[in-house]
Amino acid sequence: MEDKIKDYVKRTAAVSANFSINNDTLLFEEGLFDSMGFMSLINFLQEELKIQPNDDELVVENFESINAIVAYVNKKQAA
Amino acid sequence: MEKKAFSKSIIKLEDIQKTCDTIIQKLRHDVHTVLNRKGGIVGISGGIDSSVSLALTVKAFGAENVIGIMLPEKDSSPDSKAFAQKLADKFGVKTIVEDITGALEGFKCYQRRDEAMTRVFPEYNPVDYKSKISIKQNVLMQNIPSVFSLTIIDKKGEVKSKVLPIKEYLQIVAASNFKQRCRMSMLYYHAEANHYAVIGTPNKHEVEQGFFVKYGDGGADVMPIGDLYKNQVYQIAEYLGVPKEIINRTPTTDTYTMEQTQEEFFYQLPYELMDLLWFGWENGYEPAEVAKALDLTSEQVAHVNKTFERKKKTTEYLRMAPMREYR
Repeated sequence: MEDKIKDYVKRTAAVSANFSINNDTLLFEEGLFDSMGFMSLINFLQEELKIQPNDDELVVENFESINAIVAYVNKKQAA
Repeated sequence: MEKKAFSKSIIKLEDIQKTCDTIIQKLRHDVHTVLNRKGGIVGISGGIDSSVSLALTVKAFGAENVIGIMLPEKDSSPDSKAFAQKLADKFGVKTIVEDITGALEGFKCYQRRDEAMTRVFPEYNPVDYKSKISIKQNVLMQNIPSVFSLTIIDKKGEVKSKVLPIKEYLQIVAASNFKQRCRMSMLYYHAEANHYAVIGTPNKHEVEQGFFVKYGDGGADVMPIGDLYKNQVYQIAEYLGVPKEIINRTPTTDTYTMEQTQEEFFYQLPYELMDLLWFGWENGYEPAEVAKALDLTSEQVAHVNKTFERKKKTTEYLRMAPMREYR
């Protein structure tokens, strides 16, 4: 699951060729995802990992980095 | 010149008459001399922006050279038409009502929108439910891009809301945008039939944050209030005598069947605050200085500034003319 998320983020983030994304890179702070990018990420989580985020879960803590997304998905899958 | 200290009154128009005179003279020059047209067509919705645009157009060309077009469709609030008529009566302007429901049905606007909504909520149908899309995130609290939710309400008042998948979001917006594009087509019909110009009604925020439909409400010959903050639009409305009921209305999109404010659909901030934050951002004021004047934290101002940067960047294509230099 972690690899899938990492792969998706690296594939779709708006980055130049020489920018390297690690698990702690702040995706919104660095401008790697805009609104369409963020909605596509949620779509990916819904379709690939069967995660249904609620309105109140759309907070920066859950999506700010690959690590944050992985932790959020783990929490959702455990619930 | 030294920068003025940031304060809550920094964007207040000190000399409203002078501002109006400048706009009116420029509007007259642009329409008569640059565009070579003899009057103006204004789409009037009963909202503050179109009301001020109409009032300025009347001052520029005289009421006899202005036509107010009302463009309702089956989802429009009946209030919109009543307020628009009140405005036209106040300024002595001829009005024409063009119901665009039939045109929208021809485009399958409602059908395409409802298909997407039904994929999100299978129980949804436009007879038993009202709907809207909105942003639930708080822009002051976090730096995170907007995500849209679909909210539906049934006749008993039961409300359901879900985060919109991107495919359905795009389809709902694309279908709904037929409304603004139909209106633009109709405004140009009347403009061409009278040898008038189409007077666009977006304000500064709509233009610069991209809260308009390309070739829809963004399709016009001139935009007399396109450089005015919302608070300034209200100041001019008072000055020009726009009816109080219009001034006191909450700005809505009048696009979806559930009442939806512009704040919840797009801006995520009340306009009084947004004006000042935008001014601070575009004029390079330090977040700490802006925060102090507005009783916010520097962090909150920094979050909003990032949102502004993102909106301006991601909506740039809306403001672009077609690219045609290919050799």
